[in-house]
Amino acid sequence: MKMPRGILFAGLAVALLSPLSAATADTTLSLWSHWADQDAKRAYVEGAARAFEAANPGVTVEVTWYDKQPLYAALKTALRAGQAPDIFYAEPDQKEYMENGLILDLTDRLNWDNLESWAKDVWSHEGRAYGLPLEAWTVEMYYDAARLSELGAMLPDNGQFGQQAFLDLVEKAAAAGVTPISLGVGDRPYPGAFLSHEALLKMLGVEDYTRLLAGDLGWDDPRVKEALGFVKAMVDAGALPNTFSTLKLGESHYYFHTKPGALTFLMGSFYPSRAFQSPDKGGQPAGFELGIMRYPALDGAACNECKTIAVGGSYVVNAATEHADMAVAFLNSMATPEMGNKWLEDNLVQTGIKSDASKITGDNAGYFKALAEVNDGAKYFFGLPRQVMAPAPREVFDQVVNQAFPAGLVDVDDVVDQMSGAY
Amino acid sequence: MTTSIRFDLKHGFLVVALALYTAFAAGPFLWVASMSLRTTTEISAEPYALPDTLHFSKFAIAWTDGNYGTYFGNSVIVVLSAVAVLTVIGAMAAHCFARYRFPFRRFLYFLVFSTIIFPPQITIIALFQILVEYGLFNTRTGLVLAYVAFQLPITVYILESFFARIPSDLYDAARMDGYSEWEIFWRISLPVAMPALSTTVILNTILLWNEFLYAVVLITDDDKRTLPLGIQKYMGDQLIDIGMLATGLMIAIVPVVIVYVFFSEKLIQGMTAGAIK
Amino acid sequence: MEHTAGRLTSSEPGLGLRPVGAIAGFLAPALIIYFAFTAYPVVRTIWNSFFQVFPNRPDEFVGWANYATLLFEDRFFHRAVGNTLVWALISPVVEIAIALLLALALYARVPGSRFFRLAWFTPVLMSYVVVGIIWTWIFNFDWGIANGMLRAVGLDHWAQAWLGHPDTALPSLIFVTTWMWAGFNMVVLLAAMHSLPSEVLEAAELDNCGWMAKLRYIVIPLVRPTILNLMVLSFVGKMRVFDLVWITTRGGPLWSTETVSTYVYKRAFNWNTFDLGYPCAIATIWFVVVLGGVLILTGLLRSRDKLEY
Repeated sequence: MKMPRGILFAGLAVALLSPLSAATADTTLSLWSHWADQDAKRAYVEGAARAFEAANPGVTVEVTWYDKQPLYAALKTALRAGQAPDIFYAEPDQKEYMENGLILDLTDRLNWDNLESWAKDVWSHEGRAYGLPLEAWTVEMYYDAARLSELGAMLPDNGQFGQQAFLDLVEKAAAAGVTPISLGVGDRPYPGAFLSHEALLKMLGVEDYTRLLAGDLGWDDPRVKEALGFVKAMVDAGALPNTFSTLKLGESHYYFHTKPGALTFLMGSFYPSRAFQSPDKGGQPAGFELGIMRYPALDGAACNECKTIAVGGSYVVNAATEHADMAVAFLNSMATPEMGNKWLEDNLVQTGIKSDASKITGDNAGYFKALAEVNDGAKYFFGLPRQVMAPAPREVFDQVVNQAFPAGLVDVDDVVDQMSGAY
Repeated sequence: MTTSIRFDLKHGFLVVALALYTAFAAGPFLWVASMSLRTTTEISAEPYALPDTLHFSKFAIAWTDGNYGTYFGNSVIVVLSAVAVLTVIGAMAAHCFARYRFPFRRFLYFLVFSTIIFPPQITIIALFQILVEYGLFNTRTGLVLAYVAFQLPITVYILESFFARIPSDLYDAARMDGYSEWEIFWRISLPVAMPALSTTVILNTILLWNEFLYAVVLITDDDKRTLPLGIQKYMGDQLIDIGMLATGLMIAIVPVVIVYVFFSEKLIQGMTAGAIK
Repeated sequence: MEHTAGRLTSSEPGLGLRPVGAIAGFLAPALIIYFAFTAYPVVRTIWNSFFQVFPNRPDEFVGWANYATLLFEDRFFHRAVGNTLVWALISPVVEIAIALLLALALYARVPGSRFFRLAWFTPVLMSYVVVGIIWTWIFNFDWGIANGMLRAVGLDHWAQAWLGHPDTALPSLIFVTTWMWAGFNMVVLLAAMHSLPSEVLEAAELDNCGWMAKLRYIVIPLVRPTILNLMVLSFVGKMRVFDLVWITTRGGPLWSTETVSTYVYKRAFNWNTFDLGYPCAIATIWFVVVLGGVLILTGLLRSRDKLEY
């Protein structure tokens, strides 16, 4: 019997766990995870692992950290060869895991009472639920408050500009030599599409938007053209960086807050994980005045309070694992309100674990308050378009709506044609 | 050889052209070299400036904190073994294909050669299963064997066409002197083929030293990983730490430069020595 | 086969010995590794291409269906094929032409040739990952050095997002691979030139042959086998180019830099289907195409390969 090594870390959420039987002694749970360079998330997971080891003598949780692309390459190879780890990182768009029975059905195993019901919905496939939704994020429009006041613009009380007011602002900023919206698609297939899908979602409302993505509503619908027309107007007004096509996700943060600086930044609410680092690690400069506004309200929109929330990084259990109970127990050790709050506080991004942002105190309480304000009364659509689309339209969506359209390479009619032809 | 150098217009033009090309070819490398001594903050502020403070400590940081020491050692072991094995067995096979006639010779050669182009992105899945079956997954031996298999067709291709051009008189003479077949290979073919061998050594070393896909998929333990994974560490999702990336690159590049300088001399000398005339 | 071997033997005197033990000994190590680690994955890939292959399910035989889809329906694939062919046909010619010029310069004994040889070789010493990052910066619209130089000479309107526009992205990447590999080709060519019999060149010198004439009638024909080798290497390399595209553009914008390898990878790893049959069919088709290309290339250039010197 190995001695528990992590006794010092035992102070977390372990009290809730009943130690598993002695028969499970000397097992190693393997976990492959993204977030190799995200210290806070690593520390969170490693902390949970050490606490779990302390509560279950003889159990070792061995985490291998990867960046996302290498992880997916390694994982998909290993899964095909039947050599995947017990637990691994996944995102809910990976329906193929569920369709092929590669991950364990957690419907009756996870403490769903401690998880948000929408997160469960996102992780559900044909009535069964599969993943522990650690990370969740909304699409937010961050802005540089100092620049906004320099341009003499006043944000309405509800935090949402109207369509024309925002267009005017874009033009004003561009004329002043300030990039209106920082955004880049150099290494991700989704940020460029934020611009379009938030407009489409507002214009159509959740129901029709869902039909559009599924291919049940034609892309030649006049409302679609109108929403895309708004995006096109922004693009033509020079809303995006010239380097849009090759600007990487991390770089687009730096572009927004440091060099050359932009007025707004349309980004997932995982923004703080990069921006709240110290400046020499790519974080925003000291004294930066960060604000959050709502995506502009569209004229004639069905649902101007609609916005996207996505479940991001989650953990799932390999269906072929020999330690299913142990693996589920480890996931459950993170599915507690305490761990939910700890997630918020450590990682500054939402989670699918039930948590209470109002309990957050300290330096970042103000940020959470602002985030709560712009999400007050919001009606959510769950998931990014590319997470719910079929493979072929998704490929076109990635290339056209995410990149070519915001890059100004194609116009509204091209988008409609390309997307219509993809289903 | 009497190509004399006169300082006329034509040569002036040549010198300018060469200087321009040199700046173009080596400029990016020098840029990376200068960045390896600057911090990422400095680089972001002024990408093209020369270093004003030389941060040599970054090399120590990469070596220890970045775990480059371990990765470097692994890379040396893996690449050195793979290239050595490749060179020897590739040369043996190439010599055999070029200098002996036997049934299915063309067929076998064609078979080996044809796999030169299979996309590794696809075959890696089956390769992975094989390594698991042989118990070689997540071992350096497995990676070495995968590398040898990966580069073998191209090595055989380069060497075979060279061996085939060696005049037969050399071999006939050796046989008269009573050399065994192995001695003929070892003492005639190999030395004569030094330029071609150098080419394959350089090419294989460079390609394998920088190889990423196999390295990430076939190895999971951090203490068995190779340098390209170490470089990956500085180009994470958060931020591309270009300063450290450049430092890591300079560490990684040293052995390749040594191999190149040494073998490119061999390459040129071997040729000029006039072994094949 | 016996017959063929016999004929080959008789037509090439001096190579007739067939010591079975030695042949087996020379071939065995390479063939063992080849069959264990290369042949099996390849055969399996070809086999898979006739199935739909999902984990945890028996493979479903689909005959030529994957191929039919690929050849007649898959416009992404057609685009990728076009781009890759352009790349693989342009690159070898440009790379080797530049390499030849450089090698000739060094062959003419310009001073500092050792330095040049190292300097010109540096691009290939860096991995594709680093090369990709560096060139993304060089091509950066705002502060990249490519646009910087254009602006410096007053050609502001030529400045553009080189990797961000469908018309310029592929040429830019071809430019990068040329930059990367010209030095390597140069070194190999130079070595081949040094192996030329100096009497021939001196004779040409005495005959007062012009520089161009020497190049055309003596140097190039004599290094022809080397050129062929390098052409094949370059061609094959470009037919499977992956890393550089993946780091810089991922096939965008609008599929203008999609190559067969990036598309295969996307279908195998990024398309959220676990089906391995379809990517295997792409790989198999491409295998046939590249092999055909190599054979044609060899046929075209090898006609005068059997030179005696």
